[in-house]
Amino acid sequence: MERSAAGASYQRFPRVRIRELKDEYAKFELKDTDASMANALRRVMIAEVPTVAIDLVEIESNSSVLNDEFLAHRLGLIPLTSSGAMSMRFSRDCDACDGDGSCEHCSVEFHLAARATDSGQTLEVTSTKDLRSTDPKVCPVDQQREYQQALGNVDAYEPDAAGDHRGILIVKLRRGQELRLRAIARKGIGKDHAKWSPAATVTFMYEPDIRINQELMETLTLEEKQSWVESSPTKVFDIDPVTQQVTIVDAEAYTYDDEVIKKAEAMGKPGLVEINAKEDSFVFTVETTGAITAYELIMNAITVLRQKLDAVRLQDDDGDLLDLGAHLTGG
Amino acid sequence: MPPATSAPDAPVAEGDAEAPPVPTYRSLAAPVSNPVDKFALLPAFLKVRGLVKEHIDSFNYFITKGIKNIVRANNRIEARSDPGIYLEYKNIYIGEPSVQVDFRVETITPHFCRLTDRTYSAPVIVDVEYTVGKTHTQHRKPSFTIGYMPIMLRSYACVLNGKDEAELARYGECPLDPGGYFIVKGAEKVILIQEQLSKNRIIIDTDNKGRVIASVTSSTHEVKSKTVICMEKEKIYLQLNQFTKAIPIIVVMKAMGIETDQEVVQMVGRDPRYADLLYLSIQECATERIYTQQQALQYMDDKVTYAGAGNIKDGRSKLILRDVFIAHVPVNNGNFQPKCIYTAVMLRRMLDAILNSDTFDDKDYVGNKRLELSGQLVSLLFEDLFKTMNTYAVDRMNKNSDMARSSPLDFSQLIMQQDVITSGLERAISTGNWDIKRFKMHRKGVSQVLSRLSYMASLGYMTRITPQFEKTRKTSGPRALQPSQWGMLCPCDTPEGEACGLTKNLALMTHVTTDQEEGPLRNLCFSLGVEDLSLLSGEEIHAPGSFLVMFNGLILGKHRQPQKFANNMRTFRRSGKIGEFVSVFVNEKQHCIHIASDGGRVCRPLIIADKGRARVKEHHMKELRDGIRSFDDFLRDGLIEYLDVNEENNALIALYEHVDQDGVQRSSITHIEIEPMTLLGVVAGLIPYPHHNQSPRNTYQCAMGKQAMGNIAYNQLFRADSLLYLLVYAQRPLLTTKTIELVGYDKLGAGQNATVAVMSYSGYDIEDAIVMNKSSLDRGFGRCIAMKKYTVTSEKYGDGISDRIAKPQRNKDGVLIKQNMRV
Ligand SMILES: [Zn+2]
Repeated sequence: MERSAAGASYQRFPRVRIRELKDEYAKFELKDTDASMANALRRVMIAEVPTVAIDLVEIESNSSVLNDEFLAHRLGLIPLTSSGAMSMRFSRDCDACDGDGSCEHCSVEFHLAARATDSGQTLEVTSTKDLRSTDPKVCPVDQQREYQQALGNVDAYEPDAAGDHRGILIVKLRRGQELRLRAIARKGIGKDHAKWSPAATVTFMYEPDIRINQELMETLTLEEKQSWVESSPTKVFDIDPVTQQVTIVDAEAYTYDDEVIKKAEAMGKPGLVEINAKEDSFVFTVETTGAITAYELIMNAITVLRQKLDAVRLQDDDGDLLDLGAHLTGG
Repeated sequence: MPPATSAPDAPVAEGDAEAPPVPTYRSLAAPVSNPVDKFALLPAFLKVRGLVKEHIDSFNYFITKGIKNIVRANNRIEARSDPGIYLEYKNIYIGEPSVQVDFRVETITPHFCRLTDRTYSAPVIVDVEYTVGKTHTQHRKPSFTIGYMPIMLRSYACVLNGKDEAELARYGECPLDPGGYFIVKGAEKVILIQEQLSKNRIIIDTDNKGRVIASVTSSTHEVKSKTVICMEKEKIYLQLNQFTKAIPIIVVMKAMGIETDQEVVQMVGRDPRYADLLYLSIQECATERIYTQQQALQYMDDKVTYAGAGNIKDGRSKLILRDVFIAHVPVNNGNFQPKCIYTAVMLRRMLDAILNSDTFDDKDYVGNKRLELSGQLVSLLFEDLFKTMNTYAVDRMNKNSDMARSSPLDFSQLIMQQDVITSGLERAISTGNWDIKRFKMHRKGVSQVLSRLSYMASLGYMTRITPQFEKTRKTSGPRALQPSQWGMLCPCDTPEGEACGLTKNLALMTHVTTDQEEGPLRNLCFSLGVEDLSLLSGEEIHAPGSFLVMFNGLILGKHRQPQKFANNMRTFRRSGKIGEFVSVFVNEKQHCIHIASDGGRVCRPLIIADKGRARVKEHHMKELRDGIRSFDDFLRDGLIEYLDVNEENNALIALYEHVDQDGVQRSSITHIEIEPMTLLGVVAGLIPYPHHNQSPRNTYQCAMGKQAMGNIAYNQLFRADSLLYLLVYAQRPLLTTKTIELVGYDKLGAGQNATVAVMSYSGYDIEDAIVMNKSSLDRGFGRCIAMKKYTVTSEKYGDGISDRIAKPQRNKDGVLIKQNMRV
């Protein structure tokens, strides 16, 4: 590990503190590292954590109003439960099926058969009701949720347990119309197509460091304090009803908009507050599509990132990085 | 009629109809209570008339009236040898759209024709009476088909006429499709609106040599001719194709029977300045020693270009004067007086223009333009073909009787022998070449394939106006925006480049008139105090204070109280006694009143105002909203009227009723706009806040709005266009304009609402481009479907074997099993 030629070590020991963790949502702090690291993590979560999504559709019969390509695209975008995706093979380098992408190591088969009977009612073809998987581990996420609910494993923190569970609408069929197809889901990453991205949103922000100059603040009247507090578009500050001191209620609500600083200057009190971004401390917000849990997403992202770094290191053995290291140290 | 009682809740001061209150400072300064919202009139108007009403109206006029007039004028054909053998057309009408299949008649729908490459046409049916054989026994044959005529969609003859949305869906038709086009051999063809100069009107202009000319293009059912009177070296000449040289105008007058110079001068007008200008012309005539009508005709006979059969020149010029020279002025029983007066009026206008250059006519003025629509164009074509068919029949009959065959032939067997009408109409509409030798008409590109790139593109096509001739590139005059276009033609919608400003588009509420019967109107004019021309001497015609009354370009007579006469005519129009599109225009400069009922004039509806107060009140609008009053009721009750471009010159039109117009007395306002946004056309109406844009931007958008991909019609998946681009996730615009809702663009949207971030990036900005997020494309943003048509023939062989169309079959490796299959 120690590399004398590279000179100074940039190794740091980041710390993570989880603030909130639900199935599809996570909020955590990442400290003692650089923006490059935080951003790498974010980008890997969005584009390089593998999931399973429908990739090939063979239509046997389609008399709906949407044409085949349209339907295939819609099917592809349905999130499938992909907890096993990390251990699956990419079909392009699957030996078992010779890159054909149709064996159980690299693919899951789906079937859909729906026909609107003569009842005269429009039939809604949805991901929960009609899309049938051949592998119970890989199925549309809302089917999974229904199953969990049936088992009573409802996430107690899930606020929308009573929400809309009709699934994802694929197409509506009118009387006499029919849709029959076979679909193959494969492992992939968001970089190739957004349908494989497990992330709905991944964001991070620098943790703000807000320091109020209380001495200067006390020179303001209550009205002035009030108007200063209200100048922030988000609720960052408040006035203590007892002490009438300005306090920070939610530092992370600050959006680096500089409004309070401008306000202070306009009031003739520059330096009323000092706000800095802590450059080695990040607050992450992660939401997933449901294909994998937020926890899996973060952990898999770290795994993928590590694999990528390993790949760099392997290259390094070829000597490329030695030259680079020498170059960096000015050798 | 809806109850016109004074509604108790009407906010505006009622009762001003009886006794207008004397305006005081206080009453004028008082704030006006809330203005009447007249927007609801616009959807009501479009509901009654539809988006392409001018096309459909014009075609309807042709199939209900025009075609009958044509046949009535040519209703009898006779054998040369025996006039007792004849055929007479008693009636003509258009049947239901149908095809003949194995002697069976099957009705057809437009969509069926689109899919099967057929022509959507209906039989032209006549009732005939004819004689047979030497005995001349009379026969009658009702419902005899002489040919098939392509039918305009949504016209009276179309199966879609008056159908509601559900019925249209059953016919496979899109309810938002405006109609107004034809389907010929499966292709949708629009006959574009053609713009041309008014027929039968005097135009004073200068020619390319700078000479002052007065020209008239005469057009009647029989003849079309152009008469030019020009001034050269201060002498006035007549130019006519039938003469080799220009004829001095005084000679022409003498040839028509005005032998004394005094009479000529009196007819032109007694102003000595006119006499001064005429002096040299009169002198020239005298030096030629022409004093009598006989001498004049002799002189002209020598200059006739084509001497006619037998090369006899004698008397030719008199015929030319009668039939060609200002041909639209009739000569009854050899009475040349109307022509003389007309010539004198032409001279007078010309001399006026020389004395005062303000009185030149503007060729680009929209009031001097006429729009020719599909009905008129098809009518010309049909007239020619009908005559051709009859000539064929007569020729055959003559040939047959010359050979003296025993078996008696009759005309009813001959008129349908060739497919003259069917193939002639079909060929013209499908190629767009209108070649009518009879009318010296050779036009190309009259009909074009309806663009189905997007819904807007097809709508835009239907409102397009193409110029008739002169693509003279340099002149800017015809390309410039004309003030008289206001409200009639869209100021924004014109292409860039070659046809810029020449190709125009109709505004939203524009109506193009169709011909109206002249007889009753003429009689009405006389009973309203017009003094008949034939009773007037040349001296009296131009008596000061009296105005000439011109009716569709003809001089009817004069009137001593022009304003009163005009007001009377307008009252009749507002009460519905005469057609709503009759225009009454008092021309103070020319001391003329023009009454027009001819077709092709552009006009638009306006709210009538009495001393600046709109006649449309809140209670009228409430009745409209409640559905007990229609747009036509507004017309019938004299609240709204149509004004054409000429009559607009006698009106003062306010944009809004309650807004103070700068420097304009409110009491002088005669009309109020229904909705100012209607001055734009359909395509320009899509632009939100167009008045905040630099003007060429609006013009660019008019061209680009048609390129937006989206949905083209409700039946788009059942159509078989050769190439069709559809957007997968088309959206309705977040910001809609009133026009968008009126034309149904919100139901057949094109494009998607994109979230765009605009920012400066390091100062090196990109222009006219966007950087896109790949994931959005993956997720379906801007995703489109291209559909292509492939034609194959499916054959049936014997023994129940037939071709079958199936999808390509592949083996396990995805390779086509049969290589000759097309994917
Ligand atoms: Zn495999």
